[in-house]
Amino acid sequence: MLANIASFSVPKRGSAQEECEDSTWVGPDGLGAGEFDINRLRIVVADGASESLLAGRWARRLTSTFGTGKSSTRAKPNFIATYNTAVDEWAKEMDEYEVEREERGSPIQWYEEPGLAKGAHSTVVVVEIFDGKQGIPPFWRAAAIGDSCVFQVRNEELVASFPIQEEEAFSFSPSLLSSRGGENDVIRRHIGLTGGAWDHEDSFYIVTDALAAWFLRIARNGGHPWEPLRDMNTVDFDLDFESWVNAQRDAGDMHDDDTTLVRVDLY
Amino acid sequence: MYSAEISRANPTCFVFLLDQSGSMQDQIGSGEGQRKCDVVADALNRLLFELGIKCAKEEGVRDYFYVSVIGYGINVAPALAGPLAGRELVPLSEIAASPARLETRSKKVPDGAGGLVDQEVKFPVWVDPVANGGTPMSGALNRAQSIVSTWLMDHPGCFPPVVLNLTDGESTDGDPSFPADSIRQLSSSDGPALLFNLHVSSDSSAAISFPDSEEALANQFARTLFNISSTLPDGMRTYTQQQGIPVSDGTRGFVFNADVTSIIQFLDIGTRASDLR
Repeated sequence: MLANIASFSVPKRGSAQEECEDSTWVGPDGLGAGEFDINRLRIVVADGASESLLAGRWARRLTSTFGTGKSSTRAKPNFIATYNTAVDEWAKEMDEYEVEREERGSPIQWYEEPGLAKGAHSTVVVVEIFDGKQGIPPFWRAAAIGDSCVFQVRNEELVASFPIQEEEAFSFSPSLLSSRGGENDVIRRHIGLTGGAWDHEDSFYIVTDALAAWFLRIARNGGHPWEPLRDMNTVDFDLDFESWVNAQRDAGDMHDDDTTLVRVDLY
Repeated sequence: MYSAEISRANPTCFVFLLDQSGSMQDQIGSGEGQRKCDVVADALNRLLFELGIKCAKEEGVRDYFYVSVIGYGINVAPALAGPLAGRELVPLSEIAASPARLETRSKKVPDGAGGLVDQEVKFPVWVDPVANGGTPMSGALNRAQSIVSTWLMDHPGCFPPVVLNLTDGESTDGDPSFPADSIRQLSSSDGPALLFNLHVSSDSSAAISFPDSEEALANQFARTLFNISSTLPDGMRTYTQQQGIPVSDGTRGFVFNADVTSIIQFLDIGTRASDLR
């Protein structure tokens, strides 16, 4: 299959790009945007919680581990195994982090201690797209915890919305993966799995919550939210992603939050 | 209303009014021999502690809030101690960076085996207990009105500022209802400013959090403070309900001899962090 991938991210107003707590991983090898002629593709998007310390770092840990690990979209135990790997890697990363802070004369402050003890939190959505082979038609699968979403669009219609289908389902308290780990049974209850077929010329939009809520509202009102996203970064569209997001924020149509879009066009 | 994002690009302000009058020397009714001035100073330090933690990010606290602490007793004046003494409105990052001192306190934490164990934690102190002079509550509310009014001129689209008055309720400079009204009449494009009250009382009647009626309140001072307190907006009412407190459309930002720290959780700065359950 031929996949054309574009990736965009803009922080909430007042934050620098490096303070953005969204993270993306685009396979097959994390190289990001571009055109790929491949037989399987993996995209991971994570959104670190604003009220969580080191949330961006944890989101990056999750996208890296889910991006490079074994497939986590087939079944919940696969997802949990990858998550537990991320938790183990995080523990090592935190040991190094505290040492590094001490060494450069910036020890952990009182206001950081409770947050570090509580752990970092993030959503994650993993999308895998497979080419057809040996009589098996092309298909895709996704796994998610939280409110980062994937939308599948075909022939000007929204044919899949996962894991959220309604704008009203977004809140300040989505399900989140903690860097401290959790009980497998509890995590299992929160994991969403989905999948389906795809056709050539389908598009997938993998987005964080502010853009997802906007997308679902426009779609519910009969609009085509994929139109500006499809044209983003092309000669058909005047605005860059940041300017376009700011215009939606100014109009009161989109929450001022870190905002990420990964667009996948399949041929 | 009450839906504006709180961010560094669109911060809001928090004004704390701290009763430092002579009557604050008396003991609180429901406590274990604690003086009222100790209770309100501790409450304020805890509020600033929680606010700092809420806005903490890697190696710094973000200026989602600007904070004013005004004491009233002998006079009405900024009440932060230490390096921030005399400052009227301070960005939260400076509040976090400059407490008067850091104390070490003991906290019970789970030991992982079903029990509890003592753990030492750092606890910053910004204000010390003071009990001296009259209770110029109206003067303090007027000062808050001035601070909020100035803030709104520069931040017309902010989440509405919050004023929290911590007091034993016995105003000595007139009816506080009028200056309280003038605070609640101030408004950003996102809604009217909010006035909440913590009443610490020598009265030993039961603690009450966020009531919707004055009927159960012990005395006239409590009823006055209830009546000048803002009705909780929808989102804050929801959080109150999640804490197991019954709410109605009339639920007000008023607490009698109880913990008020939960109001920090009323404020949304983005996705809340909690473990899966």
